[in-house]
Amino acid sequence: MTDEARSAVGDYKAGWHDPENATIRFDFGLSEQVVRDISALKNEPEWMTEIRVKAYHHFEERPMPTWGNMHLLEEIDFDKVCYYLRSSDATEKNWEDVPEDIRNTFNRLGIPDAEQKWLSGVTAQYESEAVYHSIREDLEEQGVIFLDMDSGLREYESIVKKYFCSVVPYSDNKFSALNTAVWSGGSFIYVPSGVHVEMPVQAYFRINAKNMGQFERTLIIADEGSSIHYVEGCTAPTYSTDSLHSAVVELIALPGAHIRYSTVQNWSNNVYNLVTKRGIAHDNATIEWVDGNIGSKLTMKYPAVILKGEGSHAEVISVAYSGEGQHQDAGAKIHHLASNTTSKILSKSISKDGGRGSYRGMVTVSPKAENCKVNVVCDALLLDEDSRSDTYPTMEVGNSGARCEHEASVSKVSDDQLFYLMSRGHTEEEALALIVNGFFEPFTRELPMEYAVELNQLMALEMEGSIG
Amino acid sequence: MNAAYSENSETDRAAHIWRYTPWKKAHPTGDINKIPVADSPKLSVSMSDGGEVPAGIRVEHATADDLARLGHDLDFGEGTAAPTFIAEISPQIYVLRVDPKTITTAPIILSVETRGTTCACRLILDIGERSEIELITVLEGDAEWFGFLREGAFGQASIVNDVVVHVTGNRLLRCDSICSNRDAQIRAGTVNAASSQAKVDVRHWLPEPGASLQVNGSILASRKDHLDSHVEILHSGKQTFSRLEWHTAASGESVTTGTGMLRIDAGAKGGDAGQLFHNLLLSDKANANSIPELEVMESEVVGCGHGTANGPLDEYQMFYLNARGFDEEQARAALIAAFLNAPLSNMGSESLHGWLINRIESHLSGL
Repeated sequence: MTDEARSAVGDYKAGWHDPENATIRFDFGLSEQVVRDISALKNEPEWMTEIRVKAYHHFEERPMPTWGNMHLLEEIDFDKVCYYLRSSDATEKNWEDVPEDIRNTFNRLGIPDAEQKWLSGVTAQYESEAVYHSIREDLEEQGVIFLDMDSGLREYESIVKKYFCSVVPYSDNKFSALNTAVWSGGSFIYVPSGVHVEMPVQAYFRINAKNMGQFERTLIIADEGSSIHYVEGCTAPTYSTDSLHSAVVELIALPGAHIRYSTVQNWSNNVYNLVTKRGIAHDNATIEWVDGNIGSKLTMKYPAVILKGEGSHAEVISVAYSGEGQHQDAGAKIHHLASNTTSKILSKSISKDGGRGSYRGMVTVSPKAENCKVNVVCDALLLDEDSRSDTYPTMEVGNSGARCEHEASVSKVSDDQLFYLMSRGHTEEEALALIVNGFFEPFTRELPMEYAVELNQLMALEMEGSIG
Repeated sequence: MNAAYSENSETDRAAHIWRYTPWKKAHPTGDINKIPVADSPKLSVSMSDGGEVPAGIRVEHATADDLARLGHDLDFGEGTAAPTFIAEISPQIYVLRVDPKTITTAPIILSVETRGTTCACRLILDIGERSEIELITVLEGDAEWFGFLREGAFGQASIVNDVVVHVTGNRLLRCDSICSNRDAQIRAGTVNAASSQAKVDVRHWLPEPGASLQVNGSILASRKDHLDSHVEILHSGKQTFSRLEWHTAASGESVTTGTGMLRIDAGAKGGDAGQLFHNLLLSDKANANSIPELEVMESEVVGCGHGTANGPLDEYQMFYLNARGFDEEQARAALIAAFLNAPLSNMGSESLHGWLINRIESHLSGL
């Protein structure tokens, strides 16, 4: 890795933490009262409280998944998680009004700078609540709504009521139930018909406290013929005890709309990242998930698209890096319910230092969905003897006109490629980093420039010490 | 020591092995706690060319020594209910013995004539070192439900083409647990021509260096057939090679499933493995599921990959044949036959291939 890259990223650059200055902090553990207290604190309408309580009971009754990394899942102690922590009394529209310690955090992460240069809007979430929020005035004038989710519920209750839990019901899985019960923060976006948001909007999620649970809820509705690119980043301090991040994201792309949702997840290696992300694409709409998983202890994340409308399209491009003690169990799900729908999944993973990378995917084509096309490609690189790579793809095809392809390969870094680069003056370590960046290139080229550069630098840091 | 059915009868629907055919559906009575009394099938050995069976080849009752030497523990992980159940209800344990260095010029036919309401058989393969044979095991007869468990080993440096043909028209539960020893060169084929419901769980283990395995499947599904095949290949020896090619043609309202697990253990350096599932969907109501899984715990592999492709008959190929005088029906039949023939032709010699074609030709018209 170059000195330049090191100065940019350091050693897990986001691993520091600030002193905890909570204005409200709930005791550890979860109960119906905790759920009701969160709802009361936010002064929510009754229907939301009811959903929360139902979801809580479902979470309690639902057993842990019997697949995936059950060993790590069983280590989660839900009684040792703080389910709500507020560090700021309000969501500010001006960086200067954000409490100084929190502002410093986001300054160190480069968020205000990025906003000025290349973003249409920013939400910054610290622990359970959004602490800063802004949107460009011209977009606001065009009717684009970009709020933190709590404000969205307050100000646009009827829209939230219509779509909340419509894509990911609380009963979908244990962690979607948990999120629905205790959600706080996240983004609410509505893009009016025909409006194209040219520059990305960004949300940045930061866990600062120990044993913290972060449960943001994001709802994006792109009305007919509109488009938006949403980017999220995540970091947390490195602690010896575990934190839990369990988000739910619901996307609704109405006819002809286009939503791209990009994530670069760089949680520290003590965070469980158990996320449910799903979108519904109506006629001729497109939903793209661009998903980078670098950090966390265990990630279980399978971005999904339901292709409900004729001619709709889905893409999932994901990369995962698994280092020591990490298991990236990521993948994609696409359900073709309508005719002439197409989907593409590209998954790339690298495992090193005993890390484990798993692709787990599902593609279904319903009997009524004529003329569908599916392409799934999974590539994995194993960089040492202690690491592991798995691929678990499922295809269920119920229509004879569907063309579905899946291919996967697992390999090591080619000696020929290493030799080629080293014969041109690169050290072995540099050559390896170049090959890895090239391996991830189909993903990074889909990211905004700044994210792509950061991702390459992060990967260079992770590759350090790979040789010898 | 075998795993016991009583300890494994409860199965998890979340496990891929039971996702499409739950154990209750595969069980002969539907009540997983019932242990029915089973008949034993009639086994006979002949040569495909009508010649005399060589002295070094015979079927006999298995001894305790056979079980200790060649029997497996029947631990199929999440799928252990099926082999332990067959082991428990099988009235007899047979062994097919092929003496070391036995070489045959024509395929050996092992006929398994099933009968009764519930029929079951446990067969141990004892294929001697350096033998060179082709073996076709034909599951036929009229049992309403047949459970067939094969265990054993292909001896060191043996060259074996081993094909199992399902022509029994009823329900079938088949489990294989077979080991290919050092430098063995094995082609293992499965042909389903007639079973209306089949749950097949085939496990191959390559524990020693240099073993080479090609698994081919040619599966015909029509009417309301429900055919579920799982193939698992475990590479734990160094420099081992495997390829799986599984072709399924599904018509009518049939449901077909092909799941595979390719596992490369840590230490299996130089492993080279690949698997391909192809599904040809011939009617609107047919359904094809595939789950080709891969678990790689060794970085020093030659290559490891898998793929699956589902689709209808290729319209350009249809057009090509139509333009050359084939009518729709003829063109369709030719393309289906070619699709199913690809793995068939890889199962063994020309005489084996010819025998298979003769045996299953009549079933093709059902598609």
